[in-house]
Amino acid sequence: MHFAFTEQQLEFQSALRSVLENECTPDHLRAAFADPSADAGRWTTLDEMGVVSLTVPEENGGLGLGLVDLVLLLEEAGRAALPEPLVETTAMAAPVLAALAGRHDRCQRALEALVGGGLKMAVSQSADPLVPVAGALGADAVLMTVVRDGIREIHLVPTNGDGPEVARPEPVSTLDPTRLVGRFTSDPTGSATSIATGDEAERLWGDLEQRAFVATGAFLLGLAERMITITVDYAKDRKQFGQPIGSFQAVKHLLAGAQVKLEFARPCVYAAAWMIDQGDPSAARNASTAKAYASEAATEAARVCLQAHGAIGYTWECDLQLYLKRSWALAEAWGSADDHRQLVLDSLVDEFG
Amino acid sequence: MNVAVCVKQIPDPAAPPALDPGTKNLVRDGKLILDDSDAYGVEMALQLAEAAGGGEVTLVSMAPNGETSGLRTALAMGAAKAILVSDPALAGCDALGTAKVLAAALKRAEPDLILAATESSDGYTGTTPVQVAELMGLPSVTFAKKVSTEGGTVKVERQTEAGYDEVVSPLPAVVTVTAGVVEPRYPSFKGIMAAKSKPVETLTVADLGLDAASVGSAGARQEITNVAEAEARAAGEIVVDEGEGHLKVIEFLEQLKVI
Repeated sequence: MHFAFTEQQLEFQSALRSVLENECTPDHLRAAFADPSADAGRWTTLDEMGVVSLTVPEENGGLGLGLVDLVLLLEEAGRAALPEPLVETTAMAAPVLAALAGRHDRCQRALEALVGGGLKMAVSQSADPLVPVAGALGADAVLMTVVRDGIREIHLVPTNGDGPEVARPEPVSTLDPTRLVGRFTSDPTGSATSIATGDEAERLWGDLEQRAFVATGAFLLGLAERMITITVDYAKDRKQFGQPIGSFQAVKHLLAGAQVKLEFARPCVYAAAWMIDQGDPSAARNASTAKAYASEAATEAARVCLQAHGAIGYTWECDLQLYLKRSWALAEAWGSADDHRQLVLDSLVDEFG
Repeated sequence: MNVAVCVKQIPDPAAPPALDPGTKNLVRDGKLILDDSDAYGVEMALQLAEAAGGGEVTLVSMAPNGETSGLRTALAMGAAKAILVSDPALAGCDALGTAKVLAAALKRAEPDLILAATESSDGYTGTTPVQVAELMGLPSVTFAKKVSTEGGTVKVERQTEAGYDEVVSPLPAVVTVTAGVVEPRYPSFKGIMAAKSKPVETLTVADLGLDAASVGSAGARQEITNVAEAEARAAGEIVVDEGEGHLKVIEFLEQLKVI
């Protein structure tokens, strides 16, 4: 059994890293903070490379690859704090659209737009359609779920164009404006937007959530790594009492501890991705483990990196803040570490209790 | 139109470079990557072949240990095939030896146009492309900031200190391109996957019909006699401004006789 990434997976990672090192620098992120709606052309580049449609089946024009192929790319996206919705579009929504494309014209069209035109997706975390949705403002469509009379429904809600099913979210202000959080002021779901119900909706949404946990976890790993790298450089440079602060054990231990947490979280995320691709029955539990570890690693990295920087780490001028804010948001998104520890416990009790 | 591009595979500039203490040559045993400055030539070649309505882009490279990692990057961008010359006899090659090898390999590709970077990012001699042209008996145009072809000619805007010269040359010709000539594309994932199955012809010195004594360290007319650390920049003088700082600046500028 081959328990390492393939040469091709590593080549894809390195190709994406080169792109993001040029196209998603701290300067680009500052520009996105200042004007989150501006198109920096990054999404088009990622679309042309084949990153956006990576998980779309080959017969629909994608690369037909899985979460194991995607997980390193999401880590790269995290390292760069990519503002565009790669996690939502490629990891979460594309497989749902592909599963339903044969039966729903609207899913088919959305999938075609995703492959050929870089359709941007947002996905609601809550079954309450009025709860704010991250990415909704920048997205072309929002994938939503509601539960009516105990029956789950999945809806594809377009946010631009004309038509009775189109709903435009209102902006919600947040600490990280690149999150483009939006809120629908009235329930946008109805028969015109419905794409799945009942058992099928339960299954599709359950699978989507597992991918969400792992994909968000992978993004958090990248964020944590970037924050630690920035802070290690800073600790070598910043002097106090006549020497670099990185020479003090108290600072070294903080950063080493964060790195250890990151290294322990990484294999959990990779393993969960593999189990999801394999359809392993314990994939759900492992996806929760992955999110719990990744959230904790990123939260710890954010905490110690901010501490090692001192208050300057939170200022606009310091690069660290660009990654801190996303880490805080994503550590809680799709369930916090505590939520996922509870899910793991429940699952173990169910199986072995 | 068939375009050949001379590409060099170099040690990753992000990794700390090492010199062989004996030969004082750059150690290039590990994984090599495509020289960034060659990506412009590859992109230019792809665009020219496309504009001419077809034809192939062939890469020509010389590297130790049959190294193809850098070639795969250029193949992923869209080049059709590669010729790699790899032979232990080539260790210690100087610029002219490299030019002999590349010229012999380029003849096999029978290109209509040969592109190269103005210089490599690890050797910086900047002499190999013109030596290749001379050895092949072809015209050469250097420092191109814009290249187009028409019929049997290539038209080049050649960067000069004051602006640019317009140069027209009959084909085949050797043209060296600057970093500004075109913006290299990012390799797509499909391109990366396809690059694995593209042909890379690996040749030895004997395959090219060259005399081993004329290339490599045996044929080298250049020798690195000494390597020394570049002189560190002297620390500047720090003046604490207690209201009189401007006088110090004036005094300094007067010393330089600029005011």
